[in-house]
Amino acid sequence: MDRDTEAVVELVEVIAKALVDKPDDVVVEAFEGRHSRVVELSVDSADIGKIIGKKGRTAKSIRTLLGAVSMKLDRRYTLEILEDDD
Amino acid sequence: MSSVKWTVDALAPKIEDFLEPVLDAADFDLDYDIYAIEEKSEFISPDIAVDFGGDDVELLLRQRGELLLALEQLTLEALRIPHEDRYRIVFDANDYRMLRIEELRLSAETAAQQVLATGRPFEFGPMTSRERRIIHLALRGHGAVTTRSEGAPPQRYAVVYLKGAESK
Repeated sequence: MDRDTEAVVELVEVIAKALVDKPDDVVVEAFEGRHSRVVELSVDSADIGKIIGKKGRTAKSIRTLLGAVSMKLDRRYTLEILEDDD
Repeated sequence: MSSVKWTVDALAPKIEDFLEPVLDAADFDLDYDIYAIEEKSEFISPDIAVDFGGDDVELLLRQRGELLLALEQLTLEALRIPHEDRYRIVFDANDYRMLRIEELRLSAETAAQQVLATGRPFEFGPMTSRERRIIHLALRGHGAVTTRSEGAPPQRYAVVYLKGAESK
């Protein structure tokens, strides 16, 4: 993983761990998607609501942050929230 | 969470614990001050400001302050601040939010004058709950007009109408 992607993964990890009740269950991985680098976030199923937030506002805010980082790095990162741990 | 104390001493360390690693990992060129808002009017009601500076302020304020609001939202969530208390903390840069409060207060007064002149309700564009709250507060003591919110978020908007003239 390159340094930029490591930083983006760390960013999503730091945010997710602060939001959930079970930070140890936060897993963030990055892979090359078709149009962007995909950052995949999975959390304990009981914590999904904390990542999504009221009316999806929290997830939207994480995406806004990724958008800003993408702009600075000149490379697109998108967030994928896994709804199930399978 | 009634145990939250709305003081800089109580909240600044928690805000920093969240923001520091986030700003660091994001590599944003931003610094910030956390301070108590001393001169409060009923419109400028937050207790605590998190005021950003640095080269990336422009990035923070793009698209109507999208990134600024996102950082605020994530911080309030991370700190488990209940929704009814969220107006007490405001994230700002270059007085963007404070000027917006003043702008909304003035628009509310202009809308009230228009409603008085035409007798017809005035509908604002979609606003966040915090913005609508300012419209409601601005006209709360008005003798002739009153306000309410209509529609579902994020399209929810404030309406100003003549007192006694229940539209719809």
